[in-house]
Amino acid sequence: MHEDVTGEGSPGDDGFDIELLEEELRQAASILDPVPAQLCQLAVEAFALHDLDARIAELTFDSVEDAIPVRGATDVPRMLTFRAGEVTVDVEVTAQGLMGQVLPPQQARIEVLGGPQTATPVDADDMGRFASDAPPSGPFALRLRTGGEVVVTEWLRA
Amino acid sequence: MRVGTIPSAAYDDLPYTRGGAVDRADVGALVQSAVDGDAAAWKALVEGLSPLVWSVVRAHRLSDADAHEVYQTVWFRFAQHLGRIREPEKAGSWLASTARHECLKVLKSLRRLTVTNDPQLLDRVSEDRTPEQSVLDSEEAAAESERIRWMWQEFEELGERCRQLLRVLMASPPPSYQEVSAALGIAVGSIGPLRQRCLRRLRARLDARGAQ
Repeated sequence: MHEDVTGEGSPGDDGFDIELLEEELRQAASILDPVPAQLCQLAVEAFALHDLDARIAELTFDSVEDAIPVRGATDVPRMLTFRAGEVTVDVEVTAQGLMGQVLPPQQARIEVLGGPQTATPVDADDMGRFASDAPPSGPFALRLRTGGEVVVTEWLRA
Repeated sequence: MRVGTIPSAAYDDLPYTRGGAVDRADVGALVQSAVDGDAAAWKALVEGLSPLVWSVVRAHRLSDADAHEVYQTVWFRFAQHLGRIREPEKAGSWLASTARHECLKVLKSLRRLTVTNDPQLLDRVSEDRTPEQSVLDSEEAAAESERIRWMWQEFEELGERCRQLLRVLMASPPPSYQEVSAALGIAVGSIGPLRQRCLRRLRARLDARGAQ
């Protein structure tokens, strides 16, 4: 009882063929385009980033998504805003580096995370302003310690 | 939304409900164990779901560098959100949809950086991938490897929609339709028919090539 339900192609043993073909594709992918081993290893190591005690500051503004592009402007800084409750972190990423401010203005110890193993401290003044002359390459997050609390921004690709 | 109304030939959605229900059954439990600090459970999640994340990234044809960064971002964020994910058993869909979102962002920023809409830009599939020749050393294996490369070439030349769908479907273990839907932003109900059409097209291309 083979009805040609999709209204195209021929009925019959087509079904078997299709499953087989997909399985062959799956094998081809595992040979020709597998997950690079070093990436898989990084993902395994990312377990270290799991921190139930930290509050996550969610991305609430990203100029890539939310801003209207300026015609002809090429090297525009990436503007990001993260928020966790009443704490807001504004960040600007350019080719020269990264700068930002914690609001409401307050002292904070800040680290730029570049992966499970990399954390670079940056100075923040008592207005909460901070700057680093090393632009993040690849995924990054900021870890802030302020007022006995740890806040981590959502991981993002710079 | 016509969710769950797949016009079902018996063979149509079977492997997916199977992949979804059996292979993925313990995803929720693994997430819970990982939340409790079990590194082995986390490793099992990475190993079980990495091919899905990678397939979603590949389906969007990012450059190698961008693909690597998106893959990492997705896993770093998953580690960060672990324990806060509302439906742990749907971690696969969470990962697929996060990967899709990050891919679209990359494509958007590329488009923004270059005023031209050069299609070549989105076509920067790496040239340096090679089959693992060392494994395929006997003559028989060489013929097999030739066949696989053929199939891959024909797959790469399919229309964009089909190429994308099939690249996600070929993740291992097979993704559930919910995961495919999250990966590509298409309705669950349209996946079955589209899948059939795409695989038929590929079959036709392979047959035509074989007949030459």
